[in-house]
Amino acid sequence: MNGFRAFRALALNEVRASVRNRTALIFTLGLAVLFMVIFGLLFGGNGLSVSLDAVDNDHSAAASSYLASLGHVKGVTLHTKTHDAAFTDLKNDSVTAVLVVPRGFGAAVAHQGPPQQVAIYQASVASSSSAISDDVVAQVTAGFAGGGSPSVSLGAPQSATVNQVTPMDYMLPSMIAYIILFSGVNYVAIGLVEARVKQVLRRFRATPVRAGTLLSAQVVGGGLTVLLQILVLVLVGILVFQAHNYGSWLLLIPPIVLGTASFVGIGFLITSVARTSESARALAALVTFPLMFLSGLFFPMDALPSVIQTIARILPLAWASDALHQVMNDAAGFGAIATDCLVMAVWAVVTLSVAAWRFRWD
Amino acid sequence: MADIEVSGLVKRYGDLVAVDGVSFAVENGEVFGMLGPNGAGKTTTLEIIEGLRTADQGSVRVLGTDVRAHPAAVKERIGVQLQATALPEFTTVREAVELFAALYRHSRPVAEVIDEFNLGEKARSFTDKLSGGQMQRLSIALALVNDPDVVFLDEPTTGLDPQARLNIWEVIEGIRRRRKTVVLTTHYMEEAERLCDRVAVIDRGRIVALDTPWRLVSEHAAGTTIEFELVPGLDADTLRRMPGVERVAMDGRASVTTKAPEAVLHALLDPHAPWVASGEDRDGEGAIRNLMVRHGTLEDVFLRLTGRSLRE
Repeated sequence: MNGFRAFRALALNEVRASVRNRTALIFTLGLAVLFMVIFGLLFGGNGLSVSLDAVDNDHSAAASSYLASLGHVKGVTLHTKTHDAAFTDLKNDSVTAVLVVPRGFGAAVAHQGPPQQVAIYQASVASSSSAISDDVVAQVTAGFAGGGSPSVSLGAPQSATVNQVTPMDYMLPSMIAYIILFSGVNYVAIGLVEARVKQVLRRFRATPVRAGTLLSAQVVGGGLTVLLQILVLVLVGILVFQAHNYGSWLLLIPPIVLGTASFVGIGFLITSVARTSESARALAALVTFPLMFLSGLFFPMDALPSVIQTIARILPLAWASDALHQVMNDAAGFGAIATDCLVMAVWAVVTLSVAAWRFRWD
Repeated sequence: MADIEVSGLVKRYGDLVAVDGVSFAVENGEVFGMLGPNGAGKTTTLEIIEGLRTADQGSVRVLGTDVRAHPAAVKERIGVQLQATALPEFTTVREAVELFAALYRHSRPVAEVIDEFNLGEKARSFTDKLSGGQMQRLSIALALVNDPDVVFLDEPTTGLDPQARLNIWEVIEGIRRRRKTVVLTTHYMEEAERLCDRVAVIDRGRIVALDTPWRLVSEHAAGTTIEFELVPGLDADTLRRMPGVERVAMDGRASVTTKAPEAVLHALLDPHAPWVASGEDRDGEGAIRNLMVRHGTLEDVFLRLTGRSLRE
């Protein structure tokens, strides 16, 4: 079938041309890596770290074991100090919180005495790190108390939680979403406008190639370029920035493919309004840049006013970002990202159909 | 059956009638030229035949197939070089030929096409790094990659330097030797005269004359024109009485159009003629200076038919 040969040749040419386009790569892959570097410098490579002082009033083996397991939590620095020294640290803001292990802790753990509570003292300002230290201590304590079991030796916290997610872990899915958005809108879709304006499409029109073949080759070729860039980004993220993927690699494919398709489609819609490639670029920037900041790429969306959240949630970037973060950070299964994928699929089908229907050669 | 049959073609853009009832037929193996100034409707006519535009009226059959009804079938068998060829970015010459070869059901081997158009040295260069002449050769190579029966060339040498133009002419003569039917547009009369079997002279969307270049000239611009500097004692009336003279103009230079150029030259240069004698007295040189003899050209045909020059 000649249609497939034409499709393959056009898609291959699209991938090859995109990979050779250095300016485009700087704005997509290059900028994504730069964002990771900036955030890495802002937050330090170790993620959100909390520093704690502990006052041990029990001096039992159980108390030592409890404090040791807290100290093993990633990102937690724990020093055992005297009461006065510890509270001086807290006043000077050199620790996030002070823990006091009460007398009788060991006996309580061994079910030989009344239940005891570990007290936590924090500086008055409620910060994100104090909330985290709360979480950590609560979990470790719960794990230590062990649901009625007398066994106390297993001190390590069990669950892989938000606390272990470093800024790099958060940034990696964000930057995948960024590449999908930016390449899809700015290079795949605007690439087609430029081909039309420069009359490259006209030249193809003088051959027997069909509009559908040309359009789908453009989308698939562009999509493959996006995948290549994501591959490089993930390798750099893991090898250089020590980011993690706690979830399944395979599960990343649906949000990446559907996200790319929907952004290419949206790009086509934008470009069908614009007459020249310059105005298409301006319009695309107007849509993509605010979207990046409103869709949970750099900070969680919960921090935004609810009206803006609602608006951002209409567009597919928020869904792509949510799905990628859930898989990579929270090891979510497909059930958790099914809605995200459905929303992106609807966007992709609608926008790409409109694009195919409104396609113009010149 | 003719390879191309165009009848009653009309194309309007608002109030402007770009093509105004054009009809012609191009025979197999013929090199057919469309000569006219910019904006005459050559390109529009060509692009309707190629299936790139649709006519408001009229019909086009290429190789027996109706273009509007079966554009893809026609496009398989024709080769097209557009006036401004734009190719995908970041693509080398070889890749461009490969890409276009893949768009046709039948195509020629890529290496053969590159060799034929002398593009081997530039095969690895990006297409936007080519010179005007190289780009035009590539553009014609792409038009021939599917081994078409009919080739359309829209102003193949416009904007090229004389050397590159000569080179493209040789390329087109090569296409003619392979018995392809060629339709080309041009506003260079030398190009039409050298390359075309027949020429349609087009002005304001209409064909004003259609014939072989030789017959067009003999019919619409017959006679030889002799030009020289004005000479004291030689007036227009004297010139008009010379053998076979059809037209005399005396604006700055004397210009005499005649069917009997040898007799007129003889009379002009006769040593006993009064203007020759007085001229030699003047400074010892010949009296008739800067003499130039030229035959009628398609340029004269166009001027005669439309009252305007091709370059206007």
